Amino acid sequence: MTSTLEQLDTDTTTRVASEEPWRTVVWDDPVNLMTYVSYVFRSYFGYPREEAERLMLKVHTEGRAVVATGNREAMERHVEAMHGYGLQATVSRADG
Amino acid sequence: MIVAGRSGGEGVRLVLEAEEAMLLSELADQVDSVLLLGEADDPALGRLLPNAYPDDQASSREFARYTRDNLVDGKRQAAQRVRDATAVDENAGGVVQIELDQSEAWGWLTFLTDLRLILAERVGIVEEGDDDASETRDDYLRAAYEWAGFVQGSMLEVLDPTDS
Repeated sequence: MTSTLEQLDTDTTTRVASEEPWRTVVWDDPVNLMTYVSYVFRSYFGYPREEAERLMLKVHTEGRAVVATGNREAMERHVEAMHGYGLQATVSRADG
Repeated sequence: MIVAGRSGGEGVRLVLEAEEAMLLSELADQVDSVLLLGEADDPALGRLLPNAYPDDQASSREFARYTRDNLVDGKRQAAQRVRDATAVDENAGGVVQIELDQSEAWGWLTFLTDLRLILAERVGIVEEGDDDASETRDDYLRAAYEWAGFVQGSMLEVLDPTDS
């Protein structure tokens, strides 16, 4: 990773692309209770109550919400956890 | 059914009529069966194990390959614990009392979620039929769906009181 010999543009491009943050997106479903979704956000992500409820309401009213951003591995861990809780969650690239 | 706080601290205490316990035990066993025996194209399984990459088949398969066993194990364990906790001793009669600490309560909350996801999917399917038998079954599933939501909502009121 610290090689000084490879300064090609393509390399830089690849590196930047691979460091792009990814997103954990939670989607609305008609089944889950709002209180449950909010409790999951607080318990799992450690969000304060207000932030957890804001995200839950965003899921509910807009159909989805980005609940975390970061590297791909971390987002996959989050999505796996969300699936464990029974929430509909996906991993997506943050394309801006 | 009574859902209350525990005198000793965090967690929740459940008191179920024998009939309710038997129903829950039966439903938990069915959730376990769906997870164990469900065909790959069972839409209920799709609700329990959603596609993490809807627009990327290769990543989707890879994600499923790495996470599926863990997720299925966790969900089956939660269902089995509920099934075992609600197993009624025929001779005891009366009510079934269950004490859950915070982590055990999470197992119940996630089980109730999985149960409702499956029931919602099944009711949707059954609705397409219009003979009497399926309408009766539909009513039963709908009632179970509503009841599971009531139990989960009551547990959340105890575990996560909003008026604090």
